[in-house]
Order: sequence, then structure tokens, then C-alpha cells
Amino acid sequence: MALSRRSTWGGALVLLLIAPFVLPTPWLLVLQNALVLGLFAVATNLLVGWSGLVSFGQAAFYGLGAYTVALAWLHGLAPFWLAFCAAPLIAALVAGLTGAIALRARKLYFALLTLAFSELFYVLAEQLYDITNGANGIFGAMVPDILIVPRNGFYFTLAIVAAALFVLHRIFHSPFGLALRAIRERRVRAEALGLDVARHELAAFALSGAFCGLAGALYVVHDQTAYPELLDWVKSGEPVIVAVIGGISTFAGPLVGALFYQIAHDALVTLTRDWQLVLGALLLLVVLFRPAGLASLLERKER
Amino acid sequence: MNFASTAIEILSALTAAANLFIIAAGLSLVFGALRIINLAHGSFYMIGALVMASLLGPGQASHLFWPALILSPLLMAALGAVLERLLFRRIYQAEHLIQLLLSYALSLMLADLALRIWGADSRTVPPPSWLAGALSVGGATFPLYDLFVIALAAGVGLGLWALLRRTRFGWEIRAAVEDPESLALCGRNVPALFTAVFALGAFLAGLGGAAAAPLQAIGPGMDSAILVSAFIVTVIGGLGSIAGAALGAAVIGLFQAVGTLWLPTWAPAFIFLAMIVVLVIRPSGLLGAAAQGWGGEG
Amino acid sequence: MTARKATQRGKNLNGLGMGLLALLTGMGALGAGGVAQADEITVGQSTSLSGSIAQLGLTGRRGLEMALEKINAEGGLLGQKVRLVVADDGMTPANGTTNARQMILSDHIKALFGPVSSAVGAAEETLAAQYHVPYFLFTANDVRMTTQVFTPYAFQVVPNTVMEPRAAARYLAELVGKKPITLAIITPNYSFGRDSADSFVAALKADGVDVKVLTQQFPKLGETDYTPFIPPLVSAHADYTFVGQYGGDLVTFTKQALGFGLFKATTVVGQYGRQVLTALPGQVPAGTIGFDRAPFWAMEGEGIKRFNEDYHQRFNEWPSAWAILGYTAAETWAAGVKKAGSFDGDKVAAALSGATVQTMRGPITLRACDHQGNVAEYVGRISAEVDPRYGQQTYTDVKAIPGEETMLTCEEAEKLQPHH
Repeated sequence: MALSRRSTWGGALVLLLIAPFVLPTPWLLVLQNALVLGLFAVATNLLVGWSGLVSFGQAAFYGLGAYTVALAWLHGLAPFWLAFCAAPLIAALVAGLTGAIALRARKLYFALLTLAFSELFYVLAEQLYDITNGANGIFGAMVPDILIVPRNGFYFTLAIVAAALFVLHRIFHSPFGLALRAIRERRVRAEALGLDVARHELAAFALSGAFCGLAGALYVVHDQTAYPELLDWVKSGEPVIVAVIGGISTFAGPLVGALFYQIAHDALVTLTRDWQLVLGALLLLVVLFRPAGLASLLERKER
Repeated sequence: MNFASTAIEILSALTAAANLFIIAAGLSLVFGALRIINLAHGSFYMIGALVMASLLGPGQASHLFWPALILSPLLMAALGAVLERLLFRRIYQAEHLIQLLLSYALSLMLADLALRIWGADSRTVPPPSWLAGALSVGGATFPLYDLFVIALAAGVGLGLWALLRRTRFGWEIRAAVEDPESLALCGRNVPALFTAVFALGAFLAGLGGAAAAPLQAIGPGMDSAILVSAFIVTVIGGLGSIAGAALGAAVIGLFQAVGTLWLPTWAPAFIFLAMIVVLVIRPSGLLGAAAQGWGGEG
Repeated sequence: MTARKATQRGKNLNGLGMGLLALLTGMGALGAGGVAQADEITVGQSTSLSGSIAQLGLTGRRGLEMALEKINAEGGLLGQKVRLVVADDGMTPANGTTNARQMILSDHIKALFGPVSSAVGAAEETLAAQYHVPYFLFTANDVRMTTQVFTPYAFQVVPNTVMEPRAAARYLAELVGKKPITLAIITPNYSFGRDSADSFVAALKADGVDVKVLTQQFPKLGETDYTPFIPPLVSAHADYTFVGQYGGDLVTFTKQALGFGLFKATTVVGQYGRQVLTALPGQVPAGTIGFDRAPFWAMEGEGIKRFNEDYHQRFNEWPSAWAILGYTAAETWAAGVKKAGSFDGDKVAAALSGATVQTMRGPITLRACDHQGNVAEYVGRISAEVDPRYGQQTYTDVKAIPGEETMLTCEEAEKLQPHH
């Protein structure tokens, strides 16, 4: 079993490694974008799927990661590589602080609190004009020239996403990951068994924030911009939708959802003006008939 | 700053609050009775405004204003009833995340369909001719139509109060909120009641949109813009509480007006800070009763 | 963890691998399609075709299309027909760059024509330069695009955010002389709005006007409700109120401001062009100071007259400034291609730098130092009557303020550019 699992991951990695030689550049960039979204979705699913904490505010940390890189460049605070490494740490720190407040509420009220934080950060990014350029966003040569070559940018993104997913996968199977799932299933019992539920949830929130921040920093490698809409509730909804489309109950589900969503989106945009309609219909069908996600569909077919 | 201009400030804040109240009341009502957060609520608002513009026709005939103001929300109520029967009914028992995503999917589709039907241009709708003028108070002027919107919101508030407290329908809604099962045992048709509540919610969103049409430019994007504001209002006031929606709308309206005047940069941030503070200190909002199911131990 | 669950996950992962393989194959096949015909080249425009400023994008596209059709009707450029691909940016920079990247990489566009919003424009300019694609700005007019984010591939054939408010300020300065005035300001909250407001005040001071700013409001671009912002403007009772909103936003603002009596309390200075004046037939109070980047009814010359007639015949509607500027942007690129004898981005950009090109509105010189065209801005006072020929109010006492009088000096521009 372990061998088969490993070989599937390996096979996927090999396919991605040869992608730059097979795919035309525009689609390579789409795939790069999909990888970033995949990391964002798995990091969000650490809360939504693993821990049962439905957050509608992960874009706050995603955007923070992007703004860390962009602001460091704009104000000449730090070179790109340093800012890139700092992005997940800063995101984790802010996630820890907001999580400490948001986790005081449960369920819907937790979701609403995370949404409020997301919108708060969004408004700040838009209003603090002198620091952030306001609604304009930040744009320019903030990424080293070497990463602007599409193939290099892709490999860099692939390496970071693969490493991050490896770490996340280890966390998923660690005692900590199991504890999160235990809390999700039976909170009261987990508490009675002596698990420090609050501390586990806070740690999960900070960890998720760190990886969302990393995804945001990778977004800058792709687009070389940061702008307020990276932090708003619509952006926060994206990884949740993607995770649901793929399936929130498994580790790889959100990744499948992200690849599917990004590629379907980019293909649809070129084919039809009505991609929102198609996307909405797709989401509707998944929600009504496949609440376990598309990943469960692939499973069926194999049988 | 003299008395007249302060009065104008307050009146214009009240206009924004009045319109927000009409929409937020619908959102809150649906949540209270059905325990559904309807992210497509903003779509009913936007389409209500667009239908209003279409009903007046290209000549923007202002004598059609009153029929359109009634017909447009009724059409939204019909749309809401159909969607509740076809879609929402299937997921009342599902996880909350699934409910949210269903209504989000719906809002995406409705936004696209609206774009298809009405196009991307923003439109304007004139108020009826006798409300087109302005009121002069001590040298300051205030649009008459804005006064009408304030009056309309007051009427909606009173109407909802009477409906919920003085009619059988209202009694059933309140009973459904507290205990749907025993209501069904009493021989009441709970599914039909839910459809009616959902339609009423859509009616209020549509009415808010139709009434707002002469106040602003209408077009794509107004659905998501109002959704966030309506959310803040209902959360601050208390999800499920109509009086809370009124209080929340007044707080946010005044906040916006005062903030714009004194601290324009920070005003939008303060609104979300207020929402955070309320959620942390009093999750059920200023006037809400604690919501079952969503907030409790699960 | 039960054995059954582990098995499920394994299968799930197989699914991931297979799905990825299928996607890669599919994407390879998709990418191979969509190749342009041999005797045809493509240019692109990513602009706002939806939202409150959609009319600017839509009529700009019309101008662009008319110019390209004329070029094709005359046998094309260097023997090639020109095809235009267009995409909507929905006013957000991310969509703009996605569109532009898609056009550059899959459609192999030879030139990119700019958007409505400067925020989108600046993001696209960086991208266009990375791929050496000439970039023409004719609606978005942020001065940063010729200064802070200047690239050798970008050309601006519209009065920028220094020139336009300086022109309005020049007009106002001539009106008030040296007497002290008070000013209120409302502009959208992004660099276009902020820069316009700053330039307007600075230019008034430079022209010797003693100006005092009483209040400044910054609602967001595309704001649908200005009612919280208007009462502070009314109660300020400033002599003049500079309004930086444009397009549908200005229509909304004007309607709401009329209700609150703003126009009685102050003289508004704003961008009252074709679209805004027709959306508010006869409603803008006479004497309001309007400025416009290319008012069809005020511009002189045979070329523009012919264009007006053609446009009117085709669309049963008179051209907006955006249509006129879109047309001249396409003419500018075509002149560059002819001069370079090539579609190569580097050669076209080099050919246009410092060149004077002939357009239907007359010659435009694109300075070598910042690639800003020396185009005029038109300022006047809104007339009391609707002009029956055009179905809109026009300006009385309209003045064309030449670009040379309002541009930054090359020295000032170069100081702001990168690597200086």
C-alpha cells in the first residue's frame, strides 16, 4: 500500500517535471498557478477538512504573504529571497494572533469572525495608501530576473509546493494531525481524554496561516503584483470551494480540486464568456450530488 | 458645521441605513427560520434593481415607478420560491459548509445570467417626478426621494413586526424557529412555510434593490457589495432578529457617515473591527437570541 | 486509521496521477490549436468592458476597431491583415495581467492597447516590457506609466494625470486671477485620483493662485453610493470643488450631488465628457467647469471632422473621447510599424521614440525621454442649453490647452524614472 501511494505521488511529480518540455508556455503558467492554488487549498483544508474549522478568512494570510514580498521590494526593506522566506513566518505570526481571537467563537461565528478579519485586512490594504499604494496595488520588477523565465518560475514553484506538501503530508499523519481529526469528530471526548483542544486548534490556525502565506508569496512569483483583492472574502472562498470540489475528507482532495478548478477556469475563460455560470453549475452539482468531492468520483471509476 | 448641515449628515446616514435595513431584514429572517446563510441574497437585490430599470423601459417612464416598485420584488419572491423548492430544500439537513457553497454557486450563476440579460453598462433610474425635488432646510438641501426611502423602511419594519406578531403566518414562523418538529406534529405544512419565508426574504432583497435604484448607479457587482454590508448589519444586530437588523443598520449607517467625515481612511476598517468586537463579546449580536445548531456544540 | 480508509486514500492518489496525465495531454492539445493565419498578425486590447467605467472601454474599442479596419481596407500593414483580440479586465489588475499574458503567449500579439484603469495599466506595462511588446495607453493616463514604471515599450497618447489637472488649473487660474480661493476635493482612491488632486492644487499654486484646501474625500473607484461623501462637500462651501470621478461614477456622483444642492454651494470642476453629458441630458448646471481629453465637437481639422461623420454614420452616435483616442493609438502603432519596416517590438518601440506621427487629429510627437504624446486637453464652462445637433450640453468659452504647456519637463520625468 505504502509503495503504491508513494509511486502515485512519484508519478505525478515526474509528470510535472516533464511538463515544461511538453506544454506550451501559457499552459505551463496555468499549471504553475494551479500548483499555487493547490497549496493554498491544502493549507486551508488543514482547518476546514482536518480540523472542522470552516474559515472564510484564509486570504488574509495569503495576501499577507504576497504583500510581504511586494512591500519589501517597494520600500527597499529586504531582498526578494529574504522576503520570500519571511512571508510564511509573518503570516503564521499574524494568524496566531487573529486565531487567538477567532477561535473564541465556534462554527458559524468562527466562520464569520475569520471573514471579518479577512475584510479588515483587505480594507487596510486598500486604505493605507501611503504604504500599500491603495487600490492600485504594487507592481513592478519585484521578482529576480531568473524567475521571470517561465520554465524557471515553474520549477521554483514546483519545488516549493512539493516540499510544502511533503511537510503537510507528514503533519497530516503525525499524532498532531490525528489529534485534529479526533477533535473534529468528537470534541467533547477529545477534551475528556486530556487533549488541549484550544492549543491544538490555535496551532492548526497558525500552521495553516504559514502555508497560506507561502502560497501568497508564490503567487507573486507568478504575477509580480500584490493588490487588495488578494485579501478579500471572495479570495478567501476560493480555496474552500476548491477543497470542496476536490473533497475535504482526504489529503489530496483539495489538490485535485485546485488543478481541476484552475485549468477548467482558464480553459473556460478562453472558450466562453459565461465561465461563472459553468463554474457555478459545477459547484452546484458537486454540492448536491457529490458532497464528498470529485476525488471520490475518480475513485469510483477505477473500480 | 451648523445645525442644518448636521441634520443633512444624519438624514443621509439614515437613508443608507434604511435601505440596508430592508435588505438585512430579509437575510436575518431567512436565517432565523431556516438556519440558512443565503449568499445569493445580494443577487436578489441586484436583480430587483435591474428588473426595476427594465420595467421603466428605455424611456425611463417615471409614471411606471410605483407599479414597478411592487412588481419587481414580487418577481424576486417568485424566483426565491422556485429556487427554494428546487435547490435549498434538498440541503436543509446537510452540513453548513454545503449550504453556504450551494448559495454561493447560485450567486455566481445569477451574476452571470444578469450580465447576460442586462449587459455590463451601469444604469440609472429616475425617481417619480413628485419625489425628484429636494427639501430645503436652513440653506441646506436634502433629496425628497431619500426621505421616501426612510419612510419605506419604517413601513417595512412595522409591516414585518405586525406580520410576525399579529398573524397566524408569523406565529408559525416563530414556532418553526423554535421547534419545527412539533409544528409538523400540529399538522402544519412546514415545507410550504419554509418556501414562503424564503420567498419573503427574496421579496425584501428585491424591494431593497428596487428602492435603491434611483439612489445610485445599478449594474454588475452591486450584489457582492451589498452582501458584505448586509452581513455586517445582521451580525452586529443579531442573526435572526428583525429589530437587531434595524439597530445594526442604524449603527453602521451612522458609523459610515461620521467616519467618512472625521476619519475617512479608517472608517471602513472600523466597521469590520466593530463586527469582530461584537462577535467576540456577544456572538448572538446586540439583540439576537443565541442561535441553535450553528453555534452550539456539534 | 482503518485499513479501508488507507486503501481509499491510495486509490485517491492514483486518481490524482491519472487526472494529471489526462490534463497534461489535454493542455498540450489545446495549446497546439489557435495558431494565427500566415498572412495575418494579431494585436490585443485588455480593457474594462463591464462595471461602471465600461462605456470608456467599449467606445475605446470601437475607435481601435475603426482604425484597424481602415488599415486592413487599405491593404494591411507590411502586406499583413491586422486582427484584434479583446478581453475584459473587470477593473482588476490581476485580470488585466492574465489577459495580457494570455494574448502575448497564445495569440502572439504584436502590440497591446491599454485599459481604462491606471492600476491595470501599470501592471500590464511591466508585463508587456518583459515580453518586448509595444504598449499604447490612450485611456488610462497615470503619469507614473511614463515616469516611475516607465518602460521603453510604453507610449501614452492621452493627456496624463499631470497634464489634465494642470490644464484645468490653468483655465481656472485665468478665471480667478490672483484672488484667494477655497477648494474641496473628491477623487477615487487610487493613484489616478490622488495624483490628479495633487497636480491640480500644485498647478494652481504654480500659476499664482492663493488656494486653500478645505476638505478631501477619497471614495473607492466604482463606488455606487456617494451620499456619505457629499454632505461634507456641501457644508465646506468651497468656492470650487474638484471632482476626480469619471464615466459612470461621475454620472452617479452628479445625480446624487444635485439632490444635495452641491452645485448651488460651489462651482464643480470635473471631467464632463460626451458619455457623462448624454447620460445627464441638460442636467449639469450651467457654468460648471468641464474638461475633456478629446471633445469631438470642439476639435479642429479635416481628419477629425471626417472621423466624426464616419463614426456617427456607423453607430448612430457621436464619438466619445475614448473612441477618438483609441483611433489615434492604433494610428500611432501603425506609423511605428511602417517606420520600422517590421512588427518586431524592439524595432517598433525604437522607431516611435522621439518620433512625430501623423494622426487624424493632427501630428503627435512622442518625446524620447518619457514617450508622452504632446496632446491637448480641452477646458470650458458647461453651456446652459443642450446642443440639438448632439443631444448634449457643450462648453462655452472652450480652450484647448496644448500638451507642451502642461507636460513635465524631460528633466522632471527622467528624475522619476527607474535607474535615474
